[in-house]
Amino acid sequence: MFTLQRTLKDFRRTFGDPVLALGLLVAVLFVFFTILLPIFSMISAGVSGDGLTSLQRFITDPVYLNIIRNTIVMGLTVALGGTLLGFLFAYVQVKVKAPFKRFIHIVALIPIISPPFALASAIIILFGRSGLITKGIFDTRCLWGEGRGCNDIYGLDGLTLVLSLSLFTVAYMNLKGMLEALDPALDEAATNLGGSKWHIFRTVTVPMLVPGLAGSFLLLFVEAIADLGNPLVLGGNYEVLATRIYISIVGLFDTNAAAALSVVLLVPSLTVFMVQRYWINRASVVSVTGKPTGKPQQIEHPVVRWVLWGIVMAFCLLIVTIYGTIFVGAFTEVLGVNNAFTLSHFDFVINGYGAEAMTDTTLLSAIATPIAGLMGIFIAFLVVRKPFPGRGALDFATMLGIALPGTILGIGYLIVFNNPIELTIPIGETPLVIPIIPKLTGGRALLGGALAIILVYIVRSVPAALRSGVSLLSQIDPAIEEASTSLGANNAQTFRRITLPLIRPAFLSGLMYAFARSMTTISAIVFLTTPQTRIMTAQILNEVENGRFGNAFAYCVILIIIVLISIAILTFLVGGSSAATRGLQGGR
Amino acid sequence: MNDMTSLRLESVVKKFPQREGSGEFTAVDNVSLDIRKGEFITLLGPSGCGKTTTLRLIAGFESPTSGRINLGGRDITMQPPNKRDMTMVFQSYALFPHMSVFDNVAYGLHLKRLSRSDIDKKVRATLDLMGLGALATRRPNQLSGGQQQRVALARALVMEPQVLLFDEPLSNLDAKLRVQMRGEIHRLQRRLNITSVYVTHDQDEAMALSDRIVVMNAGKIEQMGKPEDIYRYPATRFVADFIGRANFLDTKIQAIDDNCAVVSAFGQTFRVPLQQTPFSVGEHATLMMRPEAIRLAHDPSAKQVRIESAMYLGTEVEYMVMVDDQLWSVADTDPRTGRAFDEGATAGMTILESSLHLLKASH
Ligand SMILES: Nc1ncnc2c1ncn2[C@@H]1O[C@H](COP(=O)(O)OP(=O)(O)O)[C@@H](O)[C@H]1O
Ligand SMILES: [Mg+2]
Repeated sequence: MFTLQRTLKDFRRTFGDPVLALGLLVAVLFVFFTILLPIFSMISAGVSGDGLTSLQRFITDPVYLNIIRNTIVMGLTVALGGTLLGFLFAYVQVKVKAPFKRFIHIVALIPIISPPFALASAIIILFGRSGLITKGIFDTRCLWGEGRGCNDIYGLDGLTLVLSLSLFTVAYMNLKGMLEALDPALDEAATNLGGSKWHIFRTVTVPMLVPGLAGSFLLLFVEAIADLGNPLVLGGNYEVLATRIYISIVGLFDTNAAAALSVVLLVPSLTVFMVQRYWINRASVVSVTGKPTGKPQQIEHPVVRWVLWGIVMAFCLLIVTIYGTIFVGAFTEVLGVNNAFTLSHFDFVINGYGAEAMTDTTLLSAIATPIAGLMGIFIAFLVVRKPFPGRGALDFATMLGIALPGTILGIGYLIVFNNPIELTIPIGETPLVIPIIPKLTGGRALLGGALAIILVYIVRSVPAALRSGVSLLSQIDPAIEEASTSLGANNAQTFRRITLPLIRPAFLSGLMYAFARSMTTISAIVFLTTPQTRIMTAQILNEVENGRFGNAFAYCVILIIIVLISIAILTFLVGGSSAATRGLQGGR
Repeated sequence: MNDMTSLRLESVVKKFPQREGSGEFTAVDNVSLDIRKGEFITLLGPSGCGKTTTLRLIAGFESPTSGRINLGGRDITMQPPNKRDMTMVFQSYALFPHMSVFDNVAYGLHLKRLSRSDIDKKVRATLDLMGLGALATRRPNQLSGGQQQRVALARALVMEPQVLLFDEPLSNLDAKLRVQMRGEIHRLQRRLNITSVYVTHDQDEAMALSDRIVVMNAGKIEQMGKPEDIYRYPATRFVADFIGRANFLDTKIQAIDDNCAVVSAFGQTFRVPLQQTPFSVGEHATLMMRPEAIRLAHDPSAKQVRIESAMYLGTEVEYMVMVDDQLWSVADTDPRTGRAFDEGATAGMTILESSLHLLKASH
């Protein structure tokens, strides 16, 4: 009891500052209404009433069991493929002496900006049943096998390829960072002890990277099972949970069944999130030492070197070809059938429906981005600097925004915000109804559903800003902020004049990531678009479903250009060179 | 409380929740202090004894679990740190890396909403005072450690606070610079007459700077007093050991006469003046003597001791000698003698009676 009182006293003291208290309140309300409430509503719809009936049916019906198995298998193959690919790229980048490294690096980063369906569509054009490469060069409909054993691009193999290519960048960045941070003195020590390169690789490099490898694997697994766009286009008969959820809502209008399926999808996602948070992150801190103390040793064995490099270059070539296809396809009548140059696709996008989608998407993303950035940095500030009870919970809940599949969030929004949220107080004959949140989704939603979409964009983007903010803030000596306080600054002044300038780079990268993410997201918003609010990714889906790849490619090209221009503008506005690179340790 | 009191701590306690388990750890244990206007007080003690926590309680970065803090007669226990008329100089300097030297120093004045010309005048004056005039446009990372330290000091001084707080400000400097900066802080503080609370674990620094030293141990105040008093008349064996070197000998009080205790050691009788601590006849006590209060000579009539080691340090020769079964430290500071005894030699030892001090028996 005594400690509780003291905790309360400390809390009052920390948040005695009205600005800070208000900020905390806003953050907590935001997290509650935009993340926790939709997720809980989705879960409760999935495990009660009609949802429960569906759920019981799913886990006994062989068709659904097959879908669940498909989802898990695809998650595993993509996680394996993407992590391997990321590791290969990172290893060649850091440890192998070979040419064109800069090129390899840039190509590895390209998939960050991949509009959904873009890669899948391009792959179909290239390797599909009448693909430019399969049909055009090898005169076959299959990737391998002929006749009855014919295996075309649709299904697990195509999905694994496309998803690995779209997602491996995260693994690459993670593992590259770890490989670079591995103390070269370790390598040297091992060499001095007479170990061969292969032996060192097995006994030193790989064990040190295990947390990084496991982390990437889990991350890719979650991203893969959450992905909606690729299975929709490339799945063929290979059905996964995300696509079945989509069909339940869009085709069958059965929200409860969708919620029940989402609960099934939620289980592995949430498990992986917990494992990452409480196990991987702990382990990885130990394995990376601070500053490299020597020059990393590089592989010089000719066979190993050129084989690894060759594989990586082949994948680079594939990525370049895919993006080239997107670009060329946007300017071609029907790629592979009628290769005439045309601007009609762009005409369709810019002067047709697309114009509205372009402005809506850009506008909504542009509104969401700075809010998400500020919110992320502010929560990071609270979590790192203000030791209040419940900060772990706040961080956890905020991270759920990205840890859980977008479909789950979208359905949660459908359920919660399809009716206005009101507080009914039964007094007198007509009870007093206090509106809290108006109807945000579906027909006659507030602002044509735009608000719900903005909220989803924010929710999906805040975690990235939060994580980069946390890592930067933990590098800033707390004494710097205390010095500001000691000189008379209140919390808000310290935050604005000291903290914010010092974490500007994190803020910037958080913003850019948030924007790119918003512009290219599909799974979270596909259920929330209305005829009044058109979103480019949803339009692309529409074109792809109708086989109009040219229009889809034109959309993708425009989307990529908007993202690139916005990044350039942001870099210019927020300022490129950063205060943080000048040392955060109070001048030392 | 009298008019001269500037800062006052009344039975201040700070407990932290234990990192593991549910217990509590008492970092500051019932500390009371009265600090006069213009006084320079040092909190001295080994690492982890609660000095920094005490300072942070004064600054307001921590709030006491119980007890009160007064500044100039007003209770400031619940006042937030930015409202307290104190500034702190940090161990890591904590300069703002994205601001020039000038802006760093001007920061607090801007917050006070002073006019631009006033700010300019004050900052220039302070920078000149600290010998930083030429560096005003530099960034912190373009300065040497000593210069950064000066900027940190200037940034605190320019605020003309009622109290200046220092947390081991010199511990990141090399030995020479530390002595130089120590002199400068001393000069400035005396000149500006700002009440100061200074935390250090370096006894030389504490002795050189302080009007009064507060020796802390395990969260408690062990002793409080002028540097000479603390050095010559430590209240406990802990203080005697922590401040300088000391040799101890168990003894028994034979008589008390004219406020002097009569004790015997090595067959000799000594009269030791008594300080605050009361003793009674027949009581066991510990006799303390500093290394420089012991003389070694070729004197066969004196107590014979064996030289275990002899180190020539320039200002003194430091001997370790075996006195019966204890190893004692002896310093020969006479500039006329060099290393008079070699290791393994035997010497006659005499003790200067006037520098002896009695402590309560430690067990
Ligand atoms: N925020 C805190 N939480 C828990 N324990 C703390 C905290 N701050 C200090 N302590 C503990 O209090 C004790 C005193 O610390 P400190 O005042 O920093 O010592 P000093 O400055 O004398 O070296 C140490 O044991 C330290 O571990
Ligand atoms: Mg300390």
